[in-house]
Amino acid sequence: MTSSGRVIGDVLLQVDNISLSFGGVRALTDVSFDIRQHEIGAIIGPNGAGKSSMLNCINGFYHPQAGTITYKGMARKQMRPHEAAAQGVARTFQNIALFKGMTVLDNIMTGRLLKMRQNFFMQALYWGPAQREEIKHREHVERIIDFLEIQAIRKMPAGRLPYGLQKRVELGRALAAEPDLLLLDEPMAGMNVEEKEDMCRFILDVNDEFGTTIVLIEHDMGVVMDISDRVVVLDYGRKIADGKPDDVRSDQRVIDAYLGVSH
Amino acid sequence: MDWLFFTKVLIGGLLSGVMYSLVALGYVLIFKASGVFNFAQGALVLFAALTFVSIVEGFGSKAPGDLVFWIAMVLTLVAMVAVAIGTERFVLRPLVNQPLIVLFMATLGLNNFLEGAAQGIWGNDVHRLEIGISERPIDVLAALGLSATPSRAASTSGPPAASAPTAATAAAPAEEGTSPDDEEIKIEVVETGPVVAQSGLLVSQFDLFAAATAGLLVTSLALFFNYTRIGRALRAVADDHQAALSVGIPLQHVWAIVWAAAGLVALVAGLLWGSRLGVQFSLSLVVLKALPVLIVGGFTSIAGAIVGGLVIGATEKLAEVYVGPLIGGAIENWFPYAVATLFLLYRPQGLFGEKIIERV
Amino acid sequence: MRMAADTFPKLLLANAVNRGTRPAIREKDYGIWQTWTWAQVLVQVREIAAGLAAVGLKRGDKLAVVGDNRPQLYWAMAAGQCVGAIPVPVYQDAVADEMAFVIDHAETRIAVAEDQEQVDKLLVIRRKYPTLATIIFKDPRGMRHYADSGLLSLEDLQARGREFLASHPGFFEEEIGKSKGGDVSVMLYTSGTTGQPKGVMLTYDNVVVSARNAIAFDRVTADEEVLAYLPMAWVGDHMYSYAESYVAGFCLSCPESGATVLADLREIGPTFFFAPPRIYENILTSVSIRMEDAGWLKRKMYHVFMDVARRAGIRILDGKTVSLGDRFLYWLGEFLVYGPLKNMLGLSRMRLGYTAGEAIGPDIFDFYRSLGLNLKQLYGMTETSVFICMQPDGQIKPDTVGVPAPEVQINIADNGEVLVKSPGVFVTYYKNEKATAEAKTADGWVHTGDAGFFDADGHLKIIDRAKDVGRLNEGTLFAPKYIENKLKFFSYIKEAVAFGDGRDYAAAFINIDLAAVGNWAERNGLAYASYQELAAKAEVYDLLQECVEKVNRDLAADPRLAGSQIKRFLLLHKELDAADGELTRTRKVRRRFVADRYTSLIDGLYGDADHAHIETSVTFEDGRKGIVKAELAIRDAARMAPAAEPLRKAS
Repeated sequence: MTSSGRVIGDVLLQVDNISLSFGGVRALTDVSFDIRQHEIGAIIGPNGAGKSSMLNCINGFYHPQAGTITYKGMARKQMRPHEAAAQGVARTFQNIALFKGMTVLDNIMTGRLLKMRQNFFMQALYWGPAQREEIKHREHVERIIDFLEIQAIRKMPAGRLPYGLQKRVELGRALAAEPDLLLLDEPMAGMNVEEKEDMCRFILDVNDEFGTTIVLIEHDMGVVMDISDRVVVLDYGRKIADGKPDDVRSDQRVIDAYLGVSH
Repeated sequence: MDWLFFTKVLIGGLLSGVMYSLVALGYVLIFKASGVFNFAQGALVLFAALTFVSIVEGFGSKAPGDLVFWIAMVLTLVAMVAVAIGTERFVLRPLVNQPLIVLFMATLGLNNFLEGAAQGIWGNDVHRLEIGISERPIDVLAALGLSATPSRAASTSGPPAASAPTAATAAAPAEEGTSPDDEEIKIEVVETGPVVAQSGLLVSQFDLFAAATAGLLVTSLALFFNYTRIGRALRAVADDHQAALSVGIPLQHVWAIVWAAAGLVALVAGLLWGSRLGVQFSLSLVVLKALPVLIVGGFTSIAGAIVGGLVIGATEKLAEVYVGPLIGGAIENWFPYAVATLFLLYRPQGLFGEKIIERV
Repeated sequence: MRMAADTFPKLLLANAVNRGTRPAIREKDYGIWQTWTWAQVLVQVREIAAGLAAVGLKRGDKLAVVGDNRPQLYWAMAAGQCVGAIPVPVYQDAVADEMAFVIDHAETRIAVAEDQEQVDKLLVIRRKYPTLATIIFKDPRGMRHYADSGLLSLEDLQARGREFLASHPGFFEEEIGKSKGGDVSVMLYTSGTTGQPKGVMLTYDNVVVSARNAIAFDRVTADEEVLAYLPMAWVGDHMYSYAESYVAGFCLSCPESGATVLADLREIGPTFFFAPPRIYENILTSVSIRMEDAGWLKRKMYHVFMDVARRAGIRILDGKTVSLGDRFLYWLGEFLVYGPLKNMLGLSRMRLGYTAGEAIGPDIFDFYRSLGLNLKQLYGMTETSVFICMQPDGQIKPDTVGVPAPEVQINIADNGEVLVKSPGVFVTYYKNEKATAEAKTADGWVHTGDAGFFDADGHLKIIDRAKDVGRLNEGTLFAPKYIENKLKFFSYIKEAVAFGDGRDYAAAFINIDLAAVGNWAERNGLAYASYQELAAKAEVYDLLQECVEKVNRDLAADPRLAGSQIKRFLLLHKELDAADGELTRTRKVRRRFVADRYTSLIDGLYGDADHAHIETSVTFEDGRKGIVKAELAIRDAARMAPAAEPLRKAS
């Protein structure tokens, strides 16, 4: 693992005037913001504010009707999820999308698939090298397992784990891809206080130890404000604030949005 | 109870069960990876066998038999991979994110297309398929050095192979002194089942070969699925499409590979069944026997396909011999479905299937 | 120069020479068992020792070691000993306050910690006790930005050590040469139920000789596989993991993490396994649960063959006669059930297992023994370097702790207290003359605080804490906890309180177990609406009377305790409750409080009436208080004739 320290760098991801609608429903309207290298950025907002839609646009599940997303200096309109993955975007899901029947180890190993030899069809023919490669990747995955302190559940089927641990395993699978940009969709939803604290520590440690840029979504403001460098606030699909946590916290429009003042 | 006779029927049943497993396996592969019951699996079997046999016949006697066999094998395999890639490209890809029932209907269409294509290209004659394995039985006990002495055989071989009709006619005639009520059991000894000769237990070489082939195929598939990264990707796709996409697994490649694997299984099944029944349109109907196998073994388990096949094979032969006479015989054809119905009632997920728990 | 290997540093040198290429310690890390040979361990210890010297560790200093069982922490202990310092292992799960007491009391200036969690605690402590100058950590994770002074990674320490060695060649061997058997080798703080922990100082002679004797007693070899997973600060781990591995030369394995112990156990397959009863209990519970969830066939097989095992297993293990049929069934069971079960638990290679620390339930103990596992009990304490009594192979009884270990002398005082003199007896409590004088006589006898006696076979039987043991008026020993525990081994009995000190006979209050008795009542068609109603039923009294009489039969078998059989008992109308002050928060009965609260019931037990009246205040679940009145029946239980007497008459 690289041991880059944490120095906020150039813009890694730039979102310009994104609009997305499903049929007549507008999910996002003219949203712009940027995320810099090694930064932890948060997108917050009340339920239904368009946070997940935003993440799905970045990751290629949705294709916005208008606007551009510039990632690593390349502007693009459309990108498929596995292409995004190939370019170093990894993510977790709000409702946990682990491979439930597979072990924790196998789940995290799938995160390495893109790091493996490119030709998908040839592997069976090159048993020796493939095996050496497998060992190399296994080693990497073991470091992640160690990092997330999930040694004890390595061989358990992911579907049988308690919720909090599933979230951790999903983070592990995303980390296995050594992403440049890590998207976390409500990483702390449904957790108790202790689990939330653990997850915060892991997020900070990931950012710190590997220098990974992180974009996370939360609807619970409290925790996010403590760990984020910058916060983008969405409400009804529009950006209503963008800045350092403290500035955002005192922004009247944010307070209104969270208190449910009608527009 | 005559144990030697029982054993012989049992082994006969197990060996024919292996043949069912082979067909069931194709379904399991595709069901695992895409959650779809592939209606076209029977057509794949027919297509593979017809292609193979037509290529062999095309060579005629212009080349030595062995060489022709392998050339035909490779060419057919190429054809099956082509079919797999074509299926993914032109049938599955346009239907991504459609409901499963749509995919199922698509395989129905594919089934008709393949059946039509196979017969359109290769004609609808009945072909004989010779893969060079003799149906001649060998004595298993003797081969294991356990040959029963004649006297013991005389005392223990109860119901004789009164009429071993088909390939296994090499069976020795009945012992003298067989009791009359044994005679009553009209044993329709399974086509190629083992027969008890004076020296012991006879099993068709072909059956053994088929079993070995199936065993090899299953072992390699299991290894492939569990220990390679492609296998891991296959399992991931089978588990959760969206998550698989997000970790960068190209769904299209995976589907193509699964269909190619199903094609390979269809080829092997087609060759074995074809050389037994002849290659003809009705070959696509052998898949009907796979249904009870799948229900017993579970739709998602390779091991289930094997065990299910063995269970169905063994129970249908044992029922035919021991229960059949009591209720008028010829129950072999519907008995597996009765077993399957029982399973549907009491263990709908099958022996090895994943438990179906609907979260409320 | 040949040295007698009487200290751990010298033993390390000897092991590195005699079995240098053999594995000394293993740790599962990144999913793989990493192994170090004795020669490699010597290299590591040498570097750490020199590093410690370089950061100022002096002969006689105390070195705190805090963390889970890790090879590096065991090396740190050895390294400290090599330069003449005294390692002080600290309980890793102690909160900062508890840890602070030890760090301060032992005047530790240098600490070796496992990871960030421990370092954070030590940093908090250091704010109050700045003498803790240097903190060395093994795992740097999360501490990249720590700017505190005197914080040093183990890696850096070893680098300093290499530099130090380059400028001081021969330093390490010279220092080791200075160590003597009479030096203090380790300081172990006992948690102590009351007051502050006490630092027990043990010399090399204490520890090494005791370990050597225990090894000889059980024929422990250099080929054992042992898993080190109990707290390093506990004397049990220190003796069995650290001391015995150095003396016998076997390889120690450290689990990947606290949570993986059971999985690691399976992978290592220890031949020699040491655990407190709690662990055995947990394993048994998990087996039982799994068996109840298993398929019909599996469950049936398990129950059938466990019956066989209960009948024949222990007798076979002890080399007694067993019928041919049972022998065959047991053999079959080994193949079908016991073997796979032991394999699943990681105990299939276990040649020797010990339990110690507290009494183990006879059912649990017998379960393991009936599987053919040579599980034994051990009696010991920190102050005697553990070993006081051990059970010899083939002479295992669930209710005794065995015969005195080699070179151990035992004396039973007049009040029943067990006194011990052995090579392992500690020097002194650190800076606590008063406690030392209380615990140890001038001529070296240790007060164990436990009451007990030797049975006819010379096995020691511990019955209670000495201070709780009283006497009946006619002079018989009365050990309340012993009787209560015997009662509580019945699932129908949740709690029991025995009386008898200064009385004419023993009597008891019994709390029925609502779940177990309720279940029994349902099966027998008894209707009841409340705990009180159930406890008052005559049928329930009958049921419990059987239990009491079984206990009496047990007591009668012991001539010294036969007099303390329970003569009268009653079933309490309510459960003893911590909220009412009847139990401590850890659910131990507060005997005196209960006696005061239920005076009228006690009077009833020692009167003639067949019932007694009681009014008590209770706290309901919702916090309201109320008064409960009840009329409780009192039963007389049959008392058995002491076992020894008929024999005497017969002869």
